[in-house]
Amino acid sequence: MEKRPEALLLKFPGTNCDVETARALDTTGFRVRTIPFKGISEEAILQCRLLVLPGGFSYGDYIMAGRLAQLKLEQALGDALNRFRDQGGYILGICNGFQILVKLGLLPSGSLIAHADGRFRCQWVKLRNHRPDHPFLRALPEVVEFPIACAEGRFVAAPGDAEAYLDKGLVTLTYEDNVNGSSAAIAGLQDESGRVFGMMPHPERFLTRAHHVDPDWAGDPDRGWGYYFFRSMYEELNPATEPEKSTESSQAMTL
Amino acid sequence: MEPLLYKSTHEIVEIRDRSDAALEALSAQRKLSLSLEDMRAIRDHFKQLRRDPTDVELEVLAQTWSEHCKHRIFNAVIHHTTDNGKEVIHGLFSRYVRCVTEEIMERKPGFVVSAFHDNAGFIRLDDTWAVGLKVETHNHPSAIEPYAGANTGLGGVIRDILGAGKAARPVASLDVFCLGNPDTDPAALKDGSVIHPLGVLRGVVKGVRDYGNRMGLPTIAGSIYFDDGYCFNPLVFCGTAGVLPLDRIEKRVEPGYRIMVLGGRTGRDGLRGATFSSASLDSNSREDDQGAVQIGNPIEEKKAADCLLRAAEEGLIRFVTDCGAGGLSSATGEMAAEHGASIYLDRVPLKEPGLSSWEIFLSESQERMVLAVEPDDVERMREMADLYESECVEIGTINNDGFLRVFHHGDELCCLDGSFLHTAPRKTLVSTYTTSPESGTVSGPYMPDSVDHDYTSDLHGLLRHFNVASREPVIREYDHEVLGQTLVKPLAGPDGHCPADGTVFGVDGSARYVAMGVSLLPAWHANPYRMGRGTVDEAIRQLVVSGANPDRVALLDNFCIGNPEDPHVLGALVETARGMAEAAEACGAPFISGKDSFYNCYETPQGTQSIPPTLLISGLGIIDERAHITRSFIRRTDSRICLAGLTRPEMGGSVYARMTGATDGDVPRWEAEQTMTVYRRFHEALRNGWILSAHDLSEGGLAVALAETGFSLRAGMNIQLEAVPVDGGPSITERLFSESTGRLLFEVAPAHVDAVTAHFHGLPFAVIGTMNDNHDRLVVGERDTVLLDEKIIHLKESWKNGLKPYY
Repeated sequence: MEKRPEALLLKFPGTNCDVETARALDTTGFRVRTIPFKGISEEAILQCRLLVLPGGFSYGDYIMAGRLAQLKLEQALGDALNRFRDQGGYILGICNGFQILVKLGLLPSGSLIAHADGRFRCQWVKLRNHRPDHPFLRALPEVVEFPIACAEGRFVAAPGDAEAYLDKGLVTLTYEDNVNGSSAAIAGLQDESGRVFGMMPHPERFLTRAHHVDPDWAGDPDRGWGYYFFRSMYEELNPATEPEKSTESSQAMTL
Repeated sequence: MEPLLYKSTHEIVEIRDRSDAALEALSAQRKLSLSLEDMRAIRDHFKQLRRDPTDVELEVLAQTWSEHCKHRIFNAVIHHTTDNGKEVIHGLFSRYVRCVTEEIMERKPGFVVSAFHDNAGFIRLDDTWAVGLKVETHNHPSAIEPYAGANTGLGGVIRDILGAGKAARPVASLDVFCLGNPDTDPAALKDGSVIHPLGVLRGVVKGVRDYGNRMGLPTIAGSIYFDDGYCFNPLVFCGTAGVLPLDRIEKRVEPGYRIMVLGGRTGRDGLRGATFSSASLDSNSREDDQGAVQIGNPIEEKKAADCLLRAAEEGLIRFVTDCGAGGLSSATGEMAAEHGASIYLDRVPLKEPGLSSWEIFLSESQERMVLAVEPDDVERMREMADLYESECVEIGTINNDGFLRVFHHGDELCCLDGSFLHTAPRKTLVSTYTTSPESGTVSGPYMPDSVDHDYTSDLHGLLRHFNVASREPVIREYDHEVLGQTLVKPLAGPDGHCPADGTVFGVDGSARYVAMGVSLLPAWHANPYRMGRGTVDEAIRQLVVSGANPDRVALLDNFCIGNPEDPHVLGALVETARGMAEAAEACGAPFISGKDSFYNCYETPQGTQSIPPTLLISGLGIIDERAHITRSFIRRTDSRICLAGLTRPEMGGSVYARMTGATDGDVPRWEAEQTMTVYRRFHEALRNGWILSAHDLSEGGLAVALAETGFSLRAGMNIQLEAVPVDGGPSITERLFSESTGRLLFEVAPAHVDAVTAHFHGLPFAVIGTMNDNHDRLVVGERDTVLLDEKIIHLKESWKNGLKPYY
């Protein structure tokens, strides 16, 4: 009876975006389970379709962001995440989840470090969609808005690497205005298989139109881009569903 | 090698034969902060018992009877003298806070679902949910250690929400700082141990940021108020809102329930915080009292919160309270008040060995919650804590004899009768207020009209003013979007950089929304009665312009003053409370919680530096439908701008007066009936879909409000100043910059202008301007004369950059 694809949210001590991420997944059709790290098992991971590492401050992130979570994950599960990816599972890391995936080496090598101005930043940013073919991005426009909220969201890589990732199509999203000084303005990356996907911005915080900073945002009359971000992945994993298209209005007014 | 302690460490303190002087010496020597009257009551109690107390019992009494825990000044009998005569007030709390709420609870049955008796107050959101708010001060710790003080201030108030009902879910936070001016000359700080206001600002912002962001709670509202009067005694308020299913509000303990401590371990950090915060500061405070300031660990609290909320959803929690000031003593004392309890200190998980018995019982180590569960659920709680990588340990049992008993390695160290413990002697105080509360100071034309005066430059000056300028550098450091329910963000608009009045959040499982706002007007202290009224009005106004139903608003009061034994200081407090209570009652806005902080004064060789009497009002307002949510900035190029409410020659306490150095002028008055009628009409217009955007008029008056609404940069604005509804013949300067209360500025589409005008018939209302797409300026004229003409983007630059050089 239950045919909806399952999304599993992995919650570390200090993970704090699990509520809104679960809300977004649930709204877009997924069956959602949130499991505290201590309760996780390889079996639980291997039986879901989408593994999500939500945002937050795993173990406080007092040393490099994501480092302790990486070590704990490797210790508890070995390379279970690689096996999960190889058997066709998708892994999404948002914000702190992205930092953890980079630390785990599941994404192109580099580091997410403190912003150029040393400050935490919570603001809406415009992002360029470089992989409109990816299941997370294919319902999104060329330029999409999401909020960021991070202090260590600046992606840096060895000289030349960031540009090479762009050439190889591993860069999924870049900042239109490089707010934190990332190499090649990188805001999101995927691995070679396309099944591991990490991004600093928060698509789950733009689930409805009401989330947007501007009530006169010229977009969908009800939904935010975050809805389409998760929904298109749902459709990828559950091909029987009718695809939903955004109805972009020229000047949608809430009045 | 030091032997491990497997026995209790306590002593008997001889008290029964002590003289008054010896009692006072004992209180001072042990830093009990107990008055002679209190010490006598304790002595007499133990005389009756025919024994002397242990040090544990004395510490328990000192913490329980501290100002911080028992609000004894707010409950004191006050002999108040004014020009109008003398009166006796049997408790400020009872007279000006609780009475208001009780009266409104009768008028609006079912609206207030919990007030004053729990860790936070709650109002009904819908048929399933209640929403509540708690705001705490953390002034003394933040003065000594700004980062740790604000950090644990927020951590503590989050636990107040977790400890409300059978565990409420924290959903949003606010923070308010009152600090000295950023450009204070360091040489003017007469005492080397005082931290410069900028140092305090950086510390407290980082403290809130690091706790709130890690806890995953959006910090969505707040205020930073700069005034020289806060140089020596900065004020730090932290608040957290929470939601709770209506059926989890009531909680109680029964004999046999097990008492458990959840979360962090107990250490020597934070000893005697409750008594420390009930005394004034001096140059030795940094040295002497640093042990009273705790260290925050937000991840520890996050794990405990996740575990607690999950347990609450599973129905395991029978009672819960936070471990704050007074530590386990205060938390278990509260639980044991009715039935009594036995607590076993040897079971309490410790951070380090070697703590003496009283230290374990009184330590204020952070991130601990105390709960009561049924005996069968103890194991399940342990497992749950283990799953979330937290710790939950059984430390005692609820009894049925009414005594609080504490054991350590078999010794009984404390056996206090709950009825004695919770009845501290009532204080009596004297207060004086000499100016008649109804009259202002000097009044008259503030500044003669002159068309040559450079009002544009005045407006730039106001927008750059420390108390008006954009708080962006601070706001962006707080995650205000986590939880994905912040709909009106503190900065919003097409470029994400227009100021909001109230902020609005949604609640999972409810179709209603909640507006939250704060207000404080310490510059109005020349007339504390009007300050009290104006502060309530401003808090409500912010919620109303955000779309809240004016008849579904609840308030919290936080008072901070200097030394309450100074009759003039206390007199100002009494007048402020009186004004506040009258306004809240007239608006039908109940108080659901409150807190007071005294001795905000600093002893220097040159004399006592005391803060201005400060009242913070925080408000929660219910928004009935998503469509009612309203923003503060202009949205169209063809709309009209309307102003409701009267502008009067009232420049007293205004930012303009402070900017120009003027000290005369009336503090704005407030008229209950007319104001509430305006707010209700506005809300009806909003429900009819006639309002595009709305902004409240507050600091900087009409001119600043107009500029701010224009910051969306969507349209040029032409304003006719002669149209502004006035009373008492205000001058041009007064019409532009007066901070008269009760005024709303709102944008209406041309199609609805006639309907709105008719709707406000009989009230002070006017269409004062039009939007256009011909230019990008704010143009304010009077008849044919242009008084002020400036590109809005230039005004916005002034506003954006006012604080940037300093933060």
